[in-house]
Amino acid sequence: MKNVIEVKNLTKEYKGVKAVDNLTFTVKNGEILGLLGPNGSGKTTTINSILSILKYNQGSIKIMGEEMTPDNSKLKSQIGVVFQDVAVFDELNVIDNVDYFCGLYIKDKKIRKEYVLDALKLVGLENYKKYYPKQLSGGLLRRLNIACGIAHKPKIIFFDEPTVAVDPQSRNNILEGIQKLRESGATIIYTTHYMEEVEILCDRIIILDKGVILASGTSEELKELANIDEKITVEGIEVKTTLLDKIKANKNVDEVHMQMNALIVTYKKGKNNLVDLMDLLKQTKVKYASIYSEKPTLNDVFLSLTGKELRD
Amino acid sequence: MFFHNFIYSLKVLLGNKTLIFWSFAFPIVLGFLFNLAFKDIEKNESFNTFDIAIIESPQFSDDVFYKEAYKSLSNGDDRIFNITMTNKDDAEKMLADKEITGYLEFLDSVSITVNQSGIYETILRFVVDEIESNKKMISTLVKDKLQTAKPNEVANIIEGIKDKVINGNATVIDKTRDNMSYTMIEYYTLIAMSALYGGVISMYIINLKLANMGSVGKRTAVAAIKKGTLIISSLLASYLVQLVEIALIFIFTVFVLHVDYGNEIGFVILTSLVGSLAGLALGVLVATLFKTNENAKIGILIAITMLGCFLSGMMGITMKYIVDTYAPFVNMINPASLITDAFYALYYYGVNNRFIQDILSLIIISALMIILSWRGLRRQKYDAV
Repeated sequence: MKNVIEVKNLTKEYKGVKAVDNLTFTVKNGEILGLLGPNGSGKTTTINSILSILKYNQGSIKIMGEEMTPDNSKLKSQIGVVFQDVAVFDELNVIDNVDYFCGLYIKDKKIRKEYVLDALKLVGLENYKKYYPKQLSGGLLRRLNIACGIAHKPKIIFFDEPTVAVDPQSRNNILEGIQKLRESGATIIYTTHYMEEVEILCDRIIILDKGVILASGTSEELKELANIDEKITVEGIEVKTTLLDKIKANKNVDEVHMQMNALIVTYKKGKNNLVDLMDLLKQTKVKYASIYSEKPTLNDVFLSLTGKELRD
Repeated sequence: MFFHNFIYSLKVLLGNKTLIFWSFAFPIVLGFLFNLAFKDIEKNESFNTFDIAIIESPQFSDDVFYKEAYKSLSNGDDRIFNITMTNKDDAEKMLADKEITGYLEFLDSVSITVNQSGIYETILRFVVDEIESNKKMISTLVKDKLQTAKPNEVANIIEGIKDKVINGNATVIDKTRDNMSYTMIEYYTLIAMSALYGGVISMYIINLKLANMGSVGKRTAVAAIKKGTLIISSLLASYLVQLVEIALIFIFTVFVLHVDYGNEIGFVILTSLVGSLAGLALGVLVATLFKTNENAKIGILIAITMLGCFLSGMMGITMKYIVDTYAPFVNMINPASLITDAFYALYYYGVNNRFIQDILSLIIISALMIILSWRGLRRQKYDAV
């Protein structure tokens, strides 16, 4: 697949602080690339730099092989953006908002009407055409924000945290809509700090922190970086020191620690770790409320790379 | 895309109730309050002639124009004031004893001495200003005629001018007393205020096109439309809304408040067009020059407008007199004062140099404000958004 976006050595400083530090990455045609990182990690700054809204200190940005500049209308017509903050007019109703933004790209009224209706259908707002933004719930407003950004059927779409503060129903609707856009051939750059979303949606993920790329790859590739194979959580347990020593004696165990009243045991490798641990608890007559096993998550990856949780 | 953005800009502006209130309803309400307040003042004023003194001096007694003017103003049933000719000491004493409202002293220029600020003091200043303006106009006319006339015609011209002096003097009285209320200045400043408040409209629409002012600005910044097209079509829409509003305010003041704008309707419209342009330019300047949020920008614009209107005589024409006397430059660059003065000049003298100067000054000031805004308007990349 050919590269649609090429970012090389992008550095953006603001008031002496490097918001983005020497970032290099590519986005391939038709893929969904996730930019994952906590708040302030440089995701939005990266997008705004690519869109040529922000000045940057060094680096080069090419979209479809061309240098991106504020005057490059040809490139801009291929791009759609869904900003983190809702960008609609309070004075216009739903259909007028979508029609206005679509009209900044599409001149033909007939085609535009068709595109606007398609966009409203995609985000599930067909029944809210005459509603004003103030009459919409937070979730519906986010959907309108998306419709305004994608109505002109762009080939490249930037989604900057589109699901912040939305209800589960709207979140599912938004994620489904993004899947459909990819199926229709769009290339998508998706930023979020919700790891579940990038795991569901993205073909590749870049993990950012403090403006630096910590890791990149597919979800599976990244999880290998966590250096753990399995995590077992035992809830409602009364822990004794002797028990901890016995667990640590297992050569497959990486770490044992208590979190609230749960015992968390991480394993580097091994088979039947859950059964072995349950046997040990039975032998030592330790009581517990529940026990379950998990594969490592992207949060574990982030934790192992930075020593802090993604949500911190 | 120009027309598309133009139409939607109109929809956005007309849909914003706060904006419509500040730029349209507020001047209407204020005009209505002016009317309530001034109606009684004028009613009282029309039945009360007041007393003044004039210090005897050759500058007064040798001047045909002054003598005729003040004589006419103090004679007949419709006289404005009673005049006592006296010396300075007696005049001071009469003023201290409150026997007179003020006294006039004719030296190189006319000096007015009053004890306090009030309605009669304001009328006195207004009348003296009027007579001075007419005198200057006549003097210019005499000079011009003398320069172009043949030597044997000079005597005839002087006689003709003397006639004009007396006729002109009569006109001053007529306008001052019967047709032209001094409170008219307040209504003119009201129109000036409405024109400048139009800046809130242009400021709002420009803020929506600046990426550093909000998410809608960012979205339009990444759209495939030239920024020039976007800005010009948006400003044209805001100008149209301004003009409709000012037309409605005119209709209100003419038909409800019975404000007289004179007979030069075409030039009254021209003044409104240029005044609204100044308002538009002021809004654009505030939008681009100040790096702050929208509410703060509205506050700045309203503060500038209100200060301008205050200095141009909205809260009492004494202020206009003071500024014109002690800081004339301020009113030369104050759009509110220029708009007010243009209406005033138009009413009194028709299209003359003073009116043309006001209009040209407004156009130049508007152009300067747009030039100062240009960098902010053209800007496409920001340090931070």
